[in-house]
Amino acid sequence: SVRRSSDDADGPDGSWGWVLVGALFVSTGLVFGLMRSLGIFFVEFVEYFEESAQTISWISSTGLAAQQFFSPLGTALCNAYNARMVVMAGGCLAGLGLILASQATCVLHLYLTMGLISGLGWGLVFTPMVATVMANFTRHRALALGLAFSGIGISSFAFNPLFQLLVEMYAWRGALLILGGLSLNIVPCGALIRPQRRSKARQKVGWTSRPYATYTLAIVLLNIGYFVPYFHLVAHGRQAGFSEYQAAFVMSAAGATDILGRVVSGWFSDMGHFRLIHLLSFWVALAGVFIMLLPVSSLSGSYAALVLISLLYGFSSGALTSLAFAAVPLIVGVERMMGALGLLQLLESATGLLGAPLSGRSTLGRCTVLCLHYRKSNLHRVSNYVCTVC
Amino acid sequence: MHMFYIGDHCSTWTFKYDFTFLNEQLSDFALSVSKTLSTTLHTGESQNETIEVLNPIKLELECTWTGDQDKLPNITVYWMKDENEIENSLFHVLMCIRKCIFISQFLSLVVVSPQIGDVREKPIVSYVGDYVVMTCKMEESKPKPSSWNWYKKNGTDEEQIFPAEEPRYKIKNEDEKTKLVVHNLTEADSGLYYCGAVYAIATTKSPVKLKVITYWEPLKPFLAILAEVIVLVAIILLCEKSQSKKDGATGNQRTYRYSYQEGNSSVRQRKV
Repeated sequence: SVRRSSDDADGPDGSWGWVLVGALFVSTGLVFGLMRSLGIFFVEFVEYFEESAQTISWISSTGLAAQQFFSPLGTALCNAYNARMVVMAGGCLAGLGLILASQATCVLHLYLTMGLISGLGWGLVFTPMVATVMANFTRHRALALGLAFSGIGISSFAFNPLFQLLVEMYAWRGALLILGGLSLNIVPCGALIRPQRRSKARQKVGWTSRPYATYTLAIVLLNIGYFVPYFHLVAHGRQAGFSEYQAAFVMSAAGATDILGRVVSGWFSDMGHFRLIHLLSFWVALAGVFIMLLPVSSLSGSYAALVLISLLYGFSSGALTSLAFAAVPLIVGVERMMGALGLLQLLESATGLLGAPLSGRSTLGRCTVLCLHYRKSNLHRVSNYVCTVC
Repeated sequence: MHMFYIGDHCSTWTFKYDFTFLNEQLSDFALSVSKTLSTTLHTGESQNETIEVLNPIKLELECTWTGDQDKLPNITVYWMKDENEIENSLFHVLMCIRKCIFISQFLSLVVVSPQIGDVREKPIVSYVGDYVVMTCKMEESKPKPSSWNWYKKNGTDEEQIFPAEEPRYKIKNEDEKTKLVVHNLTEADSGLYYCGAVYAIATTKSPVKLKVITYWEPLKPFLAILAEVIVLVAIILLCEKSQSKKDGATGNQRTYRYSYQEGNSSVRQRKV
């Protein structure tokens, strides 16, 4: 039987849950939205440290890898202690990493601070917060996630001009210091998590659990191909004869429909007309179809076709993201969801490394190199598009 | 045909051709400037051309009369620099065999050394005690300078920077770009710097502004944000404490209910 009391704000789908959605919105914006906008700093680093774009791009690769790698640690600590402390600690670490980075005197310092320390902090923040929000909802789970994840796209749109301004006013050192302060706003988000009482019976997530293993494999495979269109879209567009602006606009448009897709799919899934797993399969299949159509559309030489397919791909890839997370508690149960999510993130980091040789270069690195290339050519508007979507 | 040499020290010259004609029925002349550009101007047209050159050039102006050979005009040509006529530049063109000149057309030629297009308008910011790297780049498509210089603006003068004399400065030159690195910055280092691309014809200068600030500048907004975070956390925790006190007083135990029962039931369904 399902216990649900609609007038109890602390219960599932209660009003406090929506407060936590807001907290997740802000914290994922400060984690992933921030990570996506770091391209602006990379131009400055290349000049100041006189290193190559590839070397500098490893900073964000390290950060993302650390976030994914430390996710199981975060969820394990949540299970052992409580999510509030973990997220607040993660927020402090994320801020600390950036603050220390402002004092860096070599690129190694940046790897250790912006990469490792902030990445550890981000790992302690993201998965625990996602799990907490999901635990707060049953009927509106996917919508809650969709709304919260839209924060990533929206914040990266906002952060690009903001970071640009900060760097112009305070150079990269001052800007990183202020960014560290901004990241500390994750701490109040974590404070909003109410301490819970939980049943002691906690089961370990076993590999042998077939539904989980199958699902994990599916997500892992998904990740290998997920980012590929975003990187190759621009190069692809250029090869097909479109200008840099046209190609970058395509990416930006795909990013916008991505945000829309997240919210719409969450809302639609919660309406209950179809089962979440079926919808997830549908969106994944659709995304796959559109990826295959992408080279076809650009080869046809029609810019309109390329834009259309990219918009559709953006929408379906955003749509599957909300559901991919929301599916986890359905597969392993809410009790084991924390640990399962953590493991999932860890595996995503492995595929990130796998995808690198497959797509030619480190995925985030390639994105950063593209972002830097456009900034160097002083195509500011183009670089804003590219750096945002990345 | 009279030849005019621009000379070794020219920087910017404007050539204006102001031709008055005796016979207004002349039309359709082809004007060609050989060696550097060729263009066809028709009656009433005017044109501005900018030519970027490395070395002094010999500018030869030649025109081909395409009208009636019998109706060659008596034309006066003189050169002007800015608004003044150059002495001894007046000459008459009388008989031309298919070569003659012009009608009421204006051709402005600006002859300069290759310009640096990409100018950064916003100042480069750095901190007291830190170092800064200022870069200047000449576009790939333009010829590379023979060397690069750096200047600092002191009052109204531009003083060249010599790293040999001041080890604080380091200049790193590559063919198409140059970097000036200034170590141990002080606030006095703020100001306008120029990078100069040296060509035989002239040195192209491009401004770069430097602003040196102290750490206090970014610290101010940082401390403000820190205060905001602390206040928010305090509010949230205090609110919660007062809520739980109220609940404790009324005997209400707030427990956070997971919907774990629902979760369990869906795990039992194998068809997930």
